[in-house]
Amino acid sequence: MKQDLNPLQQVGRMDGMTVPDGYFRGFAERMASELPDKQPAVVEMPRSLWQKTRPYIYLAAMFAGIWCMLQMFAMMGGTGVSGAITPDNNPVLADAIENDSFMDDYYYMAVDEYDLYDDLYAAGMDWNKFMYEK
Amino acid sequence: MSDLIARLRDPEEVRAAFTQVIALYTEPLYWQIRRMVQNHDDANDLLQNVFMKAWASIDNFRGDARLSTWLYKIAINESLTFLEHERKRGGVSLDDETTMLIHSIEADEWVDGDELRLELRKAIVALPEKQRLVFNMKYFDDMKYEQMSEILGTSVGALKASYHHAVKKIEQYFSGRS
Repeated sequence: MKQDLNPLQQVGRMDGMTVPDGYFRGFAERMASELPDKQPAVVEMPRSLWQKTRPYIYLAAMFAGIWCMLQMFAMMGGTGVSGAITPDNNPVLADAIENDSFMDDYYYMAVDEYDLYDDLYAAGMDWNKFMYEK
Repeated sequence: MSDLIARLRDPEEVRAAFTQVIALYTEPLYWQIRRMVQNHDDANDLLQNVFMKAWASIDNFRGDARLSTWLYKIAINESLTFLEHERKRGGVSLDDETTMLIHSIEADEWVDGDELRLELRKAIVALPEKQRLVFNMKYFDDMKYEQMSEILGTSVGALKASYHHAVKKIEQYFSGRS
């Protein structure tokens, strides 16, 4: 009785699916006729002007970049074509020195020795002991 | 077969040889695809895609793998990609793929009308995807485990285990319905 209940033994190798009459033969013929022509494996494309000149343009751009970098380093070191940057030959620097707020903010506001001692006293340092201890 | 592969490599002969390939493999590939996607029209479209892809990449077929293995791989990839696409299109999760395929089975007009066979199809689509592939290849195509291993990239032992589990699940499906 159990054997009869085994569906795989009852069904065998059939799954009940069907196809239209003559489907396989018709498919093979249709498929073969619809295959596109084979293209040549490798087609050599003509190179455009940009493709030909591109390496040289990249090389020129690289050299231009290096030249600009060297100019910048020379200018920063004061050995460039225009010499060292001073308030006499650089109006931007001259304006900055003349400008009070610039000097207050960026020059005079720097921490000096007095500020340092003040901070040390505030932190509780015994100054005399520090100075005369040998 | 070696003569056919030699002709596939010959630019003068490749078209005629590929026509022979189509005639040889249309039926087995169709059934492999149909058993995965269930619907005749979808299987027909996918089979065309398989042969078009094989034709487009015939120059890459080196002949060190079996021609049938190569074609089965393309067919299975096409089927799985199609099912994934259908799942995404319908917003269906992998777990609900069975429901989607059962709808396809019920809407399929190309059936012989046998109720038990229809139930068997439903039991098969309830299997996980890999087990379904293995079951179809072994049970309906009587394919050797070694060739299945080449196609699916799975060890023979794992395939045997998959097939065993698939058979058990199908038997359980029917015993649960009786």
